[in-house]
Amino acid sequence: MRAVQAAKAAGADYADARVVSDGSESITVRNQTMEGIHRSASEGIGLRVLVNGYWGFAATARLEPEDIERTASVAAEIARAASRLPMEPVRLAEVEPVSGTWHSPMQEDPFNVPLEEKIALLMEATRRMQSVDGLAFAEGGIDLYRRRTFLATSEGTAVEQTTVHSGAGIEAVALGDGELQRRSFPNSFRGHVAAAGWEHVQKLGLIEEAERTATEAVELLSAKECPSEVTTLVIDSGQLELQIHESIGHPVELDRVLGMEEAYAGSSFVRPEDRGRLRYASDLVSITADATLPGGLGSFGWDDEGVPAQRVPIIVDGVFENFLSSRETARLLGLPSSGAMRADGWQNLPLIRMTNVSIEPREGSLADIIGDTEDGIFMATNTSWSIDDHRVNFQFGCEIAWRIKGGRLTEMYRNPNYTGITTEFWRSCDAVGGREDWTLWGTPNCGKGQPGQVARVGHGAAPARFRKVQVGVRG
Amino acid sequence: MPGLVGPDEVRRVAQAALEIPGADGVEVLFLHEWGGLTRFASSSIHQSTWREDTAIRVRVVSGDRVGVAASNELSPKGARRAAESAREIAGVSSPDPLFPGLAPPDPIEDAGRYDEGTAAATPRIRAEAVADLVAACPEGFVAAGAYETVASEVAVANTEGQFCWAPSTQASITTVVGGGEGGSGFAERFAPRMQDLDPAGIGRRAADKAVASIRPKDLEPGRYPVVLEPSAVSTLVGFLAWIGFGGRVLAEGRSCLSGKEGQPVAVPSITIFDDASAPGTLGLPFDFEGVRRARVDLIRDGVFLDGVYDRRTAKQTGKASTGHALPAPNPEGPLPLNLFMRPGEHALEDMIAGTERGLLITRFHYSNVVHPVESTITGMTRDGTFWIEGGEIAHPVKNLRFTQSILEALAQVSMVGRETELASEFFYSASRVPALKVGSFNFSGRSDH
Repeated sequence: MRAVQAAKAAGADYADARVVSDGSESITVRNQTMEGIHRSASEGIGLRVLVNGYWGFAATARLEPEDIERTASVAAEIARAASRLPMEPVRLAEVEPVSGTWHSPMQEDPFNVPLEEKIALLMEATRRMQSVDGLAFAEGGIDLYRRRTFLATSEGTAVEQTTVHSGAGIEAVALGDGELQRRSFPNSFRGHVAAAGWEHVQKLGLIEEAERTATEAVELLSAKECPSEVTTLVIDSGQLELQIHESIGHPVELDRVLGMEEAYAGSSFVRPEDRGRLRYASDLVSITADATLPGGLGSFGWDDEGVPAQRVPIIVDGVFENFLSSRETARLLGLPSSGAMRADGWQNLPLIRMTNVSIEPREGSLADIIGDTEDGIFMATNTSWSIDDHRVNFQFGCEIAWRIKGGRLTEMYRNPNYTGITTEFWRSCDAVGGREDWTLWGTPNCGKGQPGQVARVGHGAAPARFRKVQVGVRG
Repeated sequence: MPGLVGPDEVRRVAQAALEIPGADGVEVLFLHEWGGLTRFASSSIHQSTWREDTAIRVRVVSGDRVGVAASNELSPKGARRAAESAREIAGVSSPDPLFPGLAPPDPIEDAGRYDEGTAAATPRIRAEAVADLVAACPEGFVAAGAYETVASEVAVANTEGQFCWAPSTQASITTVVGGGEGGSGFAERFAPRMQDLDPAGIGRRAADKAVASIRPKDLEPGRYPVVLEPSAVSTLVGFLAWIGFGGRVLAEGRSCLSGKEGQPVAVPSITIFDDASAPGTLGLPFDFEGVRRARVDLIRDGVFLDGVYDRRTAKQTGKASTGHALPAPNPEGPLPLNLFMRPGEHALEDMIAGTERGLLITRFHYSNVVHPVESTITGMTRDGTFWIEGGEIAHPVKNLRFTQSILEALAQVSMVGRETELASEFFYSASRVPALKVGSFNFSGRSDH
């Protein structure tokens, strides 16, 4: 509260202050050899002010009273300098001041688990992968994060939150004859991260799945290239989560829609007037942003503007309904904030970030969808993603694919990828799996903003089927 | 505004970690950074920030076991605490047979890349510069972008007696000007000093592109000759650095250049080298384990020579470190961060005039790897893509998706630009590259704008 008072004294009409303590631990093992263990700790304060309707933000790791006063003055000076280019003054959507504490769910604090136990898990997983002939590299990693945030605003909000995120994964790499093939479990890019404790890592089954993962990597070396054709595409939930992330989650961020991200990752094809009108997807597709989901990386008690966590329908039966928004952007549309403002640590100002943007489950398992497909291709586990600056044209690569013939997986393909146009693709969706194969994945590396920020966000996804998709793009 | 901590204070803080008992070796990597970023959109300043942070990253060696811990508490107590945590990690870690030991003493002189004026830049100064840039937009066009001024000091100290310290500054402006019917233009500039940026000139360049790119036409995907401006070339070179030039991926056969040492991989007009000490780049004279950054010729006259190494991959391969370590622990291995492509003799206008039918590409967007061993990447064009007909720019075209092997493109270069620009594809790296004319470039899709 002292920081907020300092900001008010410096001339702020509105101020919020976040004191954040971040801690992390990362372990990597390759071929039963330690690649590195790293712990980090960071603490500081970020001060955001509005002066005459212009934003200013300043942050420092120095927490002495005089440092905080100096930082508050810098924030106010930044806001005053912004008025050099006049614009409509910023106004904020109303929110009730709140106070309270919130903790993400956790059974066993992963930071209290002995390092020896963590290392032993990765050593055994990589040992089992290395037992498969022909494998070049067997890698395993564990990533743990803890964040404590205290937020105070000049409107009277004072909340304290603690989140613990735990994740782990394994990756098998096979090399040969100009090819590099990899298989990951449970997902690529260091596995599956969730808002949970050590119990999440223990339940992943890294050791149990190690041999299968390695075997598939080796088999991919001799598999055929994924053919280039327009076909029916089935993707697993691990791939669908990134498809949601890039082609739904980002396009519905209201700051992006309003051009605030134009110069960096671009804007969006979605317009403010599209609410309730745009046929985004087939009527099987309903997308929800839910910051209250237990276990989601995008779950919290309140966002970094003190707006309570909420469940927001984004797409309902294929029709676009709501944006992810902040108090500033929502006010421009005459709406309440959707509660999506989050900052990457104390060093950065809050931006609109995805919470847990998920597809609502429908019916059937992955096996049911494949069984119901006469001819097509099934792809699993993301390797690569790219999308244009309006979020229209995308291309994704996956680790592995199989031909579907008569409702069964047949030939394996390597280097599969697919490309499409966002709304055409989502409108072609004619199957979404049910709860039994729906997983709340974590995407721990979502980049946005200048200076660059990284957010950990969640996506619940099920396997799904799409028609008339171009697969097998070649260079 | 804060100032430099300075080498004496860094030594004092580091000493608390270096003296920790029960360690066979200790290394302290010290980073201190402060600066402001004035972000604008719709020709207004909407998100301006300032921050100051420090990081003390301590690597403790116990036999051939290593632990690393970091803290942003800038004090002997913070350094000591990080060292104790790193020692605990080293105690339970498994041996790393490739650990090469810490860097030996080697006095490394300052590169002279610190500018007091840039370090002390105020929000008002940046706002005035952004106003100059925005003023270059014609009626109906608006600018978005960021003007950043950053100062940093980096030091490495270890128990072998190595100590090196270097301050530096960096200023950059990136802008996208948009308006009209689908018009969009881009320009950027990076420099060690803010005086070298020319905000109004950056604004004019982006505005000219935006005006020229209104009402873009559809173009069928396919293979076309391309003239790539330096920003687009920096994407190719940046990705080649990531998937090709690192000593670890080379040694492990995962690089697109593994096993190709001494072989031609590009046309003879292509030379790529890494040189942190050369004029015209940014960065530090030493790497993050305190080894002097050497100039490394990666591709000379089209022939691949070798990659870059840190101490660990040097031990792995029996070579010497070239001074390209990233902060420990670093499972990805070393990377070149100060790349240069040797300029040629052609003006950009000559390249366009020498193209009967083809495309002029301003920049690429959101690129990613498709096939690392084939050096194939995909991405989109953005902010100024033009059709060339009969040696002249005929009209703008809507954005296209490319899926292309970088090495295949470098093997089809027919003209190399005589002017180079400094561009940054990835954080903490910079490439100074010219424009290129490439005989055939694969466009695999298109967008609607």
